[in-house]
Amino acid sequence: MRRLKAREERALAELYDALGPWVLGLAWRILGDEAEAEEVVADVFAQVWRRIDRHDARRGALVPWVLSIARNRALDALRRRRRWWRRAERWGEARAAEGGEADPAPAPHEAAVPGWPLHREVHAALAALPEEQRRVVLLAYFEGLSHSEIARRLGEPLGTVKTRLRIAQRKLSERLQHLKDWLE
Amino acid sequence: MTDWLGMAASPRIPPPELKARALARAFAARRPRGWGVAAGAAAAALALALAGGAVWARRTIGALAAERARLAARVAALEDTVATFIHGPATRLVQIPVAVGGRVGSVTIFADAVRHRWLVRCDGLAPNAPDRAYQFWYLTDRGVEPAALMPMDQDQPMVMALELPAATRVRGVAMSIEPRAGSAEPRGTMLFRLAL
Repeated sequence: MRRLKAREERALAELYDALGPWVLGLAWRILGDEAEAEEVVADVFAQVWRRIDRHDARRGALVPWVLSIARNRALDALRRRRRWWRRAERWGEARAAEGGEADPAPAPHEAAVPGWPLHREVHAALAALPEEQRRVVLLAYFEGLSHSEIARRLGEPLGTVKTRLRIAQRKLSERLQHLKDWLE
Repeated sequence: MTDWLGMAASPRIPPPELKARALARAFAARRPRGWGVAAGAAAAALALALAGGAVWARRTIGALAAERARLAARVAALEDTVATFIHGPATRLVQIPVAVGGRVGSVTIFADAVRHRWLVRCDGLAPNAPDRAYQFWYLTDRGVEPAALMPMDQDQPMVMALELPAATRVRGVAMSIEPRAGSAEPRGTMLFRLAL
């Protein structure tokens, strides 16, 4: 962090090495498109470099900050570009996935990526949620849907969706509050 | 709470060239002086151009702005149309693999039963010979009726919206390769014929 703020270019390269797979994974999860996800990755690290002075370590760790930039960028791309066709082609798969696991089973080589234990913890926290709570969290986080949109998508009352999200947020917050950056 | 949720997505190993692209974009963005000089030079050049031909420039900019607005409106209208099809409660999705010219593409149909319209997308189809075109057919109670002619010169996806024929029921769909000007009934190679 200190080296990044000192505008040391090598520090950004090291940050990319550590977080590139996670940023790409998150962007791909949201966009479902390799080329678009890679474009987001390039934008994210440019934004990190440009705005590193705005990050306040007292208010949060670096990894979640970078991931929040990645999520916002990916959701912007999702809304702006509206790749309706690709999404439509994956319609069935997405609907099936909504009712299933939070994420597909990892490939063996993924476990070698730095930060993997933290991924497992977040994954486990999500998996521990009841199905109906996990679904609303995934729709809100990975598809950027509003409460009303989630309610429409699931055919549930708005109040029910809000309640589920609130409960899920509390549980995740309690379970993940001990997490810290694994970066130096 | 959602601070760490991004870590729930499985990591993906970036392609090797992405690192150079990401870093180049970052470091390019932090050189305001260089960009400032470039922007200044561009502004000076623009000022000279304006001084030399203000009327021409004004007309050109006006025409470009109008063209941009027209294209933006067209894209917005297209997005609305596509969204209506995809999210319509009565929309049915049919995907048909098509083997032609030694490759396998697909034809995807979004059939809107309420508005009696179809949105058709062709992907991965081999470009036609210069004197040939793909032709799409409705299979109706009255027989085979032409739906659309799709000359394909480039290796690119093609999208079109079709109105269903009135006063008859469409029971299926077919696609064949016909002369460039189209045929009244299918005579060429039939690529698929499907009952819906």
